[in-house]
Amino acid sequence: MWCGNIRRRSAGCQQRGFWPSFLEASVKNAHTISSQSPISPSPPQSEQEVDKISLLVFITFSVRSQDIRNTVGNIPMEWYKDYPHIGYDLDGKKIFKPIRNKDELDEFLDKMENPDYWRTVQDKMTGADIRLSDEQVDLVHRLQQGKFGDVNFNEYEPAIDFFSNEVMIHPVTNRPQDKRSFIPSLIEKEKVGKLVHAIKMGWIKPRRPKETTPQYYDLWAKEDPNSILGRHKMHVPAPKMKLPGHQESYNPPPEYLLSEEERLAWEQQDPEDRKLSFLPQKFACLRAVPAYSRFIHERFERCLDLYLCPRQRKMRVNVNPEDLIPKLPKPKDLQPFPTTQSLVYRGHSSLVRSISVSPSGQWLVSGSDDCTVRFWEVSTARCLKTVEVGGAVKGVAWNPNPSICLVAVSYDDTVVLLNPGLGDRLVCTATDQLISSYEEPEEVMDQSVQWAVAEGEGHEQGHRLILKHPKAVRQVTWHGKGDYLACVMPDNGSSLQVVIHQVSKRRTQNPFRKNKGLVQCVSFHPIRPYFFVATQRYVRVYNLIKQELTKKLMANCKWISSMAIHPGGDNVICGSYDCRLAWFDLDLSTKPYKVLRHHKKALRSVAYHRHYPLFASGSDDGSVIVCHGMVYNDLLQNPLIVPVKVLKGHTITHDLGVLDVTFHPTQPWVFSSGADGTVRLFT
Amino acid sequence: MSQVQARFFTENKKYLIDDVPFSIPAASEVADLSGVINKLLEAKNDGHKHVEFDFLVRGQFLRTSLASHMEKENISTEEVVEIEYVEKFTAPQPEECIMHDDWISSVEADSEWILTGSYDKTARIWSMEGKAVMTVAGHTDVVKDVAWMKRGENLQTGSLVVNDWNSERNKVEARHCCRGHAGSVDTVAVDPTRTKFCSGSWDKMLKIWSAVPTVEEDEIEEPNRPRKKQKTEQMGLTRTPLMTFSGHNEAVSSVLWVDAEELCSASWDHTIRLWDAETGEQKSTLTGSKVFNSISYSPLCRRLASGSTDRHVRLWDPRSKDGSLVLLSLTSHNGWVTAVRWSPSHEHQLVSGSLDNVVKLWDTRSCKAPLYDLAAHEDKVLCVDWTENGKAIFVIILTCLDLKLNYHYPYV
Repeated sequence: MWCGNIRRRSAGCQQRGFWPSFLEASVKNAHTISSQSPISPSPPQSEQEVDKISLLVFITFSVRSQDIRNTVGNIPMEWYKDYPHIGYDLDGKKIFKPIRNKDELDEFLDKMENPDYWRTVQDKMTGADIRLSDEQVDLVHRLQQGKFGDVNFNEYEPAIDFFSNEVMIHPVTNRPQDKRSFIPSLIEKEKVGKLVHAIKMGWIKPRRPKETTPQYYDLWAKEDPNSILGRHKMHVPAPKMKLPGHQESYNPPPEYLLSEEERLAWEQQDPEDRKLSFLPQKFACLRAVPAYSRFIHERFERCLDLYLCPRQRKMRVNVNPEDLIPKLPKPKDLQPFPTTQSLVYRGHSSLVRSISVSPSGQWLVSGSDDCTVRFWEVSTARCLKTVEVGGAVKGVAWNPNPSICLVAVSYDDTVVLLNPGLGDRLVCTATDQLISSYEEPEEVMDQSVQWAVAEGEGHEQGHRLILKHPKAVRQVTWHGKGDYLACVMPDNGSSLQVVIHQVSKRRTQNPFRKNKGLVQCVSFHPIRPYFFVATQRYVRVYNLIKQELTKKLMANCKWISSMAIHPGGDNVICGSYDCRLAWFDLDLSTKPYKVLRHHKKALRSVAYHRHYPLFASGSDDGSVIVCHGMVYNDLLQNPLIVPVKVLKGHTITHDLGVLDVTFHPTQPWVFSSGADGTVRLFT
Repeated sequence: MSQVQARFFTENKKYLIDDVPFSIPAASEVADLSGVINKLLEAKNDGHKHVEFDFLVRGQFLRTSLASHMEKENISTEEVVEIEYVEKFTAPQPEECIMHDDWISSVEADSEWILTGSYDKTARIWSMEGKAVMTVAGHTDVVKDVAWMKRGENLQTGSLVVNDWNSERNKVEARHCCRGHAGSVDTVAVDPTRTKFCSGSWDKMLKIWSAVPTVEEDEIEEPNRPRKKQKTEQMGLTRTPLMTFSGHNEAVSSVLWVDAEELCSASWDHTIRLWDAETGEQKSTLTGSKVFNSISYSPLCRRLASGSTDRHVRLWDPRSKDGSLVLLSLTSHNGWVTAVRWSPSHEHQLVSGSLDNVVKLWDTRSCKAPLYDLAAHEDKVLCVDWTENGKAIFVIILTCLDLKLNYHYPYV
């Protein structure tokens, strides 16, 4: 059994053409068992030297797989270097190293004498010398030459192309068709089901129309034409010369030839102004044409043209002037405001300096230089009453209290309180009673103004109280409650320029110990106890309760003529003789929020409307300019000022146009009085 | 397009022609068409006299040639055009003028008499011939509006106080002095049943007063007003208002009775308000954009006409609930329209007076331009009125400031 095993193994070895020599002994022992051993040791006949080292390596390899006697396994043999044995056989007995006592000399002699020396190799596992047989040597040679170990192996056998591209009549295999090729595939069904579900859910869109537009990247889409690369587009061609026309011909048509007068005119013209730089001439033939005398000159000019022609197109910033104007609403959207002249109140024979409307808006009072005060019905321009006073009327003011019917009229150094007797009789009588019910106080105060009750003819006309001032009174204005009356007596350097009267107590106060500058006009604050005093260049705001200066507005103009307070009390407009209208926002600054220069000549009067966001200014140029002046409750928003209408109607007399403007208390109507002796109503 | 198929018809039986379509030249104008109708009428009856006609195409007066009118109105020229013809109104001519000493603030005409109120604090009654019948003095202030209470018997004037007068042939007696307004009374109107009248005042109130002349009218004593009492003793009895309507924010400029239960007032607060006279409730408000000077109501066409402080005469439908609905704007004036008055017998005609010294006669069927301008005045027109005289003759009375006179325009 064991032998059979060996044989089988040796058969495997035989295929490789190698039979290790260390088996030789056992093989020899086993000769009796298997005489047909393919390998019989025979001395190598080849004279070829075998490289011993390579052979050794080879044998080591062989031993590793072929050793059957030494059972130590594949271990480095140096481990047994110091032992007398080299391993153990199958029975567990020691395999002793063969006795080696050959020295160099013996080696040499052996090499010289032993013809098989070249084919003797030492078995590492056993330490014995093995003489390689001829087949083995032959095998080694073949391997060294890179050939197959087997001699009979034909490496160039003819190839049979079974699976060729040629269509065969009969299949290669005669296998019947599978059953699965006849039944639908479950896997495929599952896949298709998944796709159908995806289509149903909209995850996949079958038959999506192909995008017909070509998808390409526009390289020049975002290119800046002004960049350096784009400069070549800005090519400026050299100016071309004008092509010669019929004038230049040597034989021009007769209409191109200049007549005698034209020639004279041409000669008298400046060379720069001439349309033609030469005189067209006619020659009989081309030969007769002389040399052109201006040739060099013209060449030079052409060179200059080329030299001085622009090389580059200058990019100019084109700003639309409309864009620079601030965006303002259209006047059409800001209606209502007065647009047309509706009524003319005629009757005065001289300039009308001052007008005032009754608080109900039914009557108008006007004071004129013809020493009369006239009362008008607003809606019909009917003069209801004419009251004569003793001088040119400088100012009229209707008491703003609707329960009192009183008009203050100032002329010369006098202020007269008139009861026009218009309106409800009860109010008129109540007013008269109020004045007559005054009782003289016990201690008589020394006042600079004398109060007197009108009697006799004056009382018949409506005069109720007469206030004699030390100086000429220019302006009268009421407090909103209708009890206090402020009068202005402009006098430079005087301490008595402004006085405030209290009608019910017939008392006069001089609120200022000292006035700085020439007082132009004064006004009460509509709500709070403030008092506005306009001098030539400043408007001072005084607190009447604390008796101190609150604010000083710098009007930025040379001479203030008039002033009006917004009914809200936070805005003031000032008209000045240097054609300006300054709008002050008291919360904003002491300098004008806006200055309007719409008038051509000095402003005489400004006015606010009590309800509508309107203000008007009258000027010496005979026009009234109505502006929309919207004041917002929101403190962050600045007032909106839009000029909406220029109203013309007054004729200019003695270089004076409009002298006073005032608004109707309830309607968007404006009254203006002019130097032409008329009062006009614009609606 | 040279010929148009047209069928003529008329309401007037006197001028009926056969109802046949005619082919007429498209370029024909009013005079040509009038000639055609006259020819047809002559052919029909021999005794026909020439009459000038006016023509209406779909309710609009024909003023240009037929072709251009149809083009403007988008009327198809393929079909037969229905053309109505009416007798042409002749231009009113000034017939008479009555001199007044002062401005005339108001006028109201009767079939016999004309009542005027003046700024010289009197009201006057004139006969149709222009003779002064009576002068009513007694007002202490300007007479702003007058109204006839009952023909030939009562008249009523308004100034600061409203007075009620009993006028007999040659005697005028102050009936009542109606006190209560706190401002000047600008307008008075008597209701159709002649038992009440309404006054509108500058104090924003409307007040309704009784107009029934009761002899045993109790004099209302007001102990705290001794002066007034003296006055009332002079001028007759004092009356207190039956009802006061407040709602206007500004002065009431014009008031009228739409019918016995409904009252309409126009005000300076840019509104026209309709009131229920029984309950005093405000029924509806028509809002304009300008101050109203005058309103007039025509029971024939049930429209309100308003004159305001701009150039337009506006027509309103008082029954519309949604407020500002201007049916029509008649624009031709150059100044404030101070007076408008519907014709009492013609549903399409109204007359308007303006501060531009012109009185215009309008027909609502030709709203682009007035029928006639009556420009014989030299100063502002404050009031106009129509009078019915006889059967078909109307006289427009209007007043003017400058010459202080009344014109009568006979108008057939």
